[in-house]
Amino acid sequence: MVRDAAFSEFTGHLFLRGRCFWRVGILTAVERKRLVEARKKKFVFWRVVHWLGSLQLALILLATIAIACAVATLAESEFSTKIAQVYIYKAPWFLVWLAVLCINLFAVTLTRWPWEKKHAGFIITHYGIITLLFGAMVGIQTGFEGNVTLHKDKGPVRKITVNRSIIQVESPNDSALYVMPFDAATSRPSERRPRVFEVPQTNLQILADGFSDNLIKEEKLVPSDSGRPGVLLRFTSPRMGQNLELPMVLEGTAPQDRDFFGLARVVFQAELPPPKPPRAAETQMVFGRFAPVVQGATQASGIRVLLSADGKKITLAPPESASATYLREEVMKSPLQVGAVLVTVEEYWPDFEMVGGRPVTKSDQPNNPAALVRIQMPSDVVEDTKPVLVAAPGDGGIGYQFQRGGATYASGTAKVGDSFATGWADWQVEVLGFYPQAAVRSTMQPGPPLPKGETGVPGFQARLISPEKKDAETCWVASGDITSLTDGRNVVRLGYGLELRPLPFAMRLLNFEVPRYEGTETPSNFIATVEFKEDGTGLTKTGTARMNHPASFPGTVFANFTGINYKFSQAEWNPRDLGETTLQVLYDPGWLLKWVGSLAICMGITIMFYFKPKPKDA
Amino acid sequence: MTSLFRIFAFAAALFFFCNASHGLDLTGLDSIPIQEGGRKKPFLVFADEALLSLSGKSRYVKDGAKIDSTATVASLWLTPVGWEDQPLVLIGNKKFKDQLGLDPAKKLFTYRELAGNEKLRDALQDVSAIRSKNPKASLDVLQREASTVGMRLAVFEGLVSGRSVTLLPTGAAAWSPLKSDDVALAKLREGFRSNNQADFDAGLAELRVEQAREEARFQADAGKIALEVFYQRLHPFRWAWILYLAAGIGLLVVPGKGGYALGWAFGLGGFLLQAAGFAFRTIISGRAPVTNMYESVVWVAFGTILFALIFEAIYRSRYFLLGAVPVAVASLILADTQPVILDRAIHPLVPVLADNFWLTTHVLTITLSYAAFALALGVGHIILGKSLIASKASPALHNYLYRTLQIGVLLLAIGTVLGAVWANYSWGRFWDWDPKETWALIAFLTYLFLLHGRIAGKWGGFGMAVGAVLAFQCVIMAWYGVNFILGVGLHSYGFGSGGLPGAIAFVLCEVAFVTLAMIRHKQAKKIARPPLDEGVS
Repeated sequence: MVRDAAFSEFTGHLFLRGRCFWRVGILTAVERKRLVEARKKKFVFWRVVHWLGSLQLALILLATIAIACAVATLAESEFSTKIAQVYIYKAPWFLVWLAVLCINLFAVTLTRWPWEKKHAGFIITHYGIITLLFGAMVGIQTGFEGNVTLHKDKGPVRKITVNRSIIQVESPNDSALYVMPFDAATSRPSERRPRVFEVPQTNLQILADGFSDNLIKEEKLVPSDSGRPGVLLRFTSPRMGQNLELPMVLEGTAPQDRDFFGLARVVFQAELPPPKPPRAAETQMVFGRFAPVVQGATQASGIRVLLSADGKKITLAPPESASATYLREEVMKSPLQVGAVLVTVEEYWPDFEMVGGRPVTKSDQPNNPAALVRIQMPSDVVEDTKPVLVAAPGDGGIGYQFQRGGATYASGTAKVGDSFATGWADWQVEVLGFYPQAAVRSTMQPGPPLPKGETGVPGFQARLISPEKKDAETCWVASGDITSLTDGRNVVRLGYGLELRPLPFAMRLLNFEVPRYEGTETPSNFIATVEFKEDGTGLTKTGTARMNHPASFPGTVFANFTGINYKFSQAEWNPRDLGETTLQVLYDPGWLLKWVGSLAICMGITIMFYFKPKPKDA
Repeated sequence: MTSLFRIFAFAAALFFFCNASHGLDLTGLDSIPIQEGGRKKPFLVFADEALLSLSGKSRYVKDGAKIDSTATVASLWLTPVGWEDQPLVLIGNKKFKDQLGLDPAKKLFTYRELAGNEKLRDALQDVSAIRSKNPKASLDVLQREASTVGMRLAVFEGLVSGRSVTLLPTGAAAWSPLKSDDVALAKLREGFRSNNQADFDAGLAELRVEQAREEARFQADAGKIALEVFYQRLHPFRWAWILYLAAGIGLLVVPGKGGYALGWAFGLGGFLLQAAGFAFRTIISGRAPVTNMYESVVWVAFGTILFALIFEAIYRSRYFLLGAVPVAVASLILADTQPVILDRAIHPLVPVLADNFWLTTHVLTITLSYAAFALALGVGHIILGKSLIASKASPALHNYLYRTLQIGVLLLAIGTVLGAVWANYSWGRFWDWDPKETWALIAFLTYLFLLHGRIAGKWGGFGMAVGAVLAFQCVIMAWYGVNFILGVGLHSYGFGSGGLPGAIAFVLCEVAFVTLAMIRHKQAKKIARPPLDEGVS
């Protein structure tokens, strides 16, 4: 009885008329207040609980969290998502603050002890928040989020890219790979604040002392004793303000094939193919003020070409579909696709006149605008629709050919220093270098600062330090690359980039569809059908990820319930290649806690606001 | 009272009958289906949207005479000659007009002067160069304006060339425009040019025959088209604010029970009209009407009146309606008169929104919570206004405010959780500090701060009113600011621009009002300390 009494006193229960009110002790407000005062006076524990669960602390927490979040959204808008996450959302102090919030929430429910019916909503709400935050913590600690890019024509993939930067160091002593977390973009190593990594199993160190968010690969063409012919081409577009240097060296017999911004292809091969003439072509001389002159038509295209009276616009009117108008300046010499036919505005004279049998222009004024238009019929075999520049080594330079739709539309030769037009928008090519025996040497160098909103290739500057040599040559390590560092004697291979995480199953894209809204190119959904095959058991399952409906693996009731389940949802697509899709992969064992917590919060608030028993002592 | 009715009757007459100006009756053309922007719509809607995007207005003044959108667009399409010299294309931005060397006092410009403007062409080429380098690049104000003007020129060209008037169903593919030798087009053109109703109607009949040639499944749903024509002509949301305004005037002007009954009648009438408007819009678009700023503004007005009517039914006080009416009227007028900022056109949804269940539950709940907070804002204003004119607000009024805030907090909690559940499905994660999520949380925390401060005895009824007004600024930020000011994050389908000066003016006015009320309250407190409200445990 004595022990019971002491315990009751501690927990704050009252002995009324010799009976213990364990469960439903209904207290008046005055009794409760007296009780709280009494236990706070007597026990340190209760003093601490009431302090931790105080409304003052709650108000401070609510205010600071709200302000911190507001600052973070502004920082995100002004700088980047990463900054907001590193300094606020995922910063240690913020997590500590959330932990304090949990303690405050827990303590405040204790201060209401002994609980009565009227506290139900209050307790459910506050425990709901704790459960939710705990679930989030479980998710962060044990779950992960990543991306995987799948292609219809490629084989199964079993690794996903996780949004965590790491470095991989290959130790020269045991040739093993060692992984260390390191994100140069957030820790931003500099000469004042360098980062040092020990190379395991050696007495070597890697020193990182520089950062750039825009590393550019510089490829140089150098003469070499053993190489094969190589050429360095520079592409420039004044309108887009871009230029690109492209070194290419022959290797073996296969042609060197490079993609050019998805617009075109550049091929370097041993010899030029014989030129293929287009199937049929006609030329039209069109005038702003007179009827056109059509010639050489083996088979009339039926396309009408109109030049505006000021010579600024050109209209193509095919017989079967709607006409289209272009600014003439913009489309000069670049073939326009009209149905299956290619139309090229070859020449333009503002003030046309024939002098000595040759067309010339009398002035810059559009007094008699005229244009020469070439219309090429489609060849029977439809090959690559992208234009191709084919180059081959020649005498002190290259020979080149431009092809489109399998037909050659221009050709010529160029020596070092020569330049010529591509006919792809306003891109020009210059031959910067040519060696009969060459090699390509590539290094990473920091580029100019990027404009806001654009992302480049990040990376850091590193060098190898050994006890003997402290000032080895530095080298830029780009994300997604493997770089060799050396101090002259030792070589350490260093990889940097997002972590690849293997999954216990393989993924293969069976099909990818992008349905559109009627009459537009706007996608109305993305539907990816993926096949999963578990390692070991060989369990195979096909899932479909569509907008708002992720696919999941294993996707069983048990897996769904515990969250030991991988969810695949549509993340990105490539409008240029509809066989490719990027899916987001999520693994979150904390999800059930988050759900339960959320549900409890909503229920608790409802009970608190609308199902509260009327106070008895009112 | 009769004078009030007379004003409305007059307004009604104005709205319905100022359309006639061209000699022809074009109502037959209004209900011709046309496919544009990913859906099939009546010609009337196509014309309204086209004229709005060209000139920023839904009517056009040609040679001193007002002509409606159908007549304007039909004229552009059927008799294009001469239109290139009509001032029709809107340029709103003063700086941009300076950049182009145009008269800054004018708003509308002719196609000819813009198409021949070298500086405009340079600006457009710059924008297209930026876009071709990076399609997601963010443009500055002038570049955005240039791209908008370029879009307007394209709309003009599409209309005068007939290219964008895609009237003929062509199987599953995009509809196509009438060919230049089309019989229906010739008749329509002839009838329109010579003001011959019989020819024009014959052209319409011919056009309908041509449309009917394609398989039925590729054609527009006649019932939906008819409904959309009706909806477009009805202007339910405009009539709703007129009725709400009448309710407010009735409540304020007519004393006693009569005024209260008037308030109820007009309020309920407007509410039902608005509900009907939402029903039509939902049927036409096939989805819940909360997918852009325009729809959410109208929906919040609706929700505010809804909660006010519910509370009025329970408490029979006039304060809920009085608080709700200014909020609802202001937001509906905003939606009615600012079509450039608040786009009222029905667009197809981006894929992530296309799931109706989550869209309906999550967005409707969130916006209803905004509506409850807007009602709290209205009631808060009444309390503060009372303290300004030195009369003390009753404890009942404080209780009303508390009740309204409760609804808002509950709905915001549920809406945010539903959003998290949807995000878990759609984006694969529950919560990731997306700006929209975060601001919903900030608003939630702010209102919690307000409620907890009251429990802690930091403030009473008056403080709650101050808080209800100030905390609503967080709602403005979550609702408008994230989409229109911050412009980052995953809720990008709601992003827009414009209205920032207005929003800042609103916030400043609110802050000034609150400050004034607080000063008055302090003075009054010095004279007599009002009893503190009892907190809840």
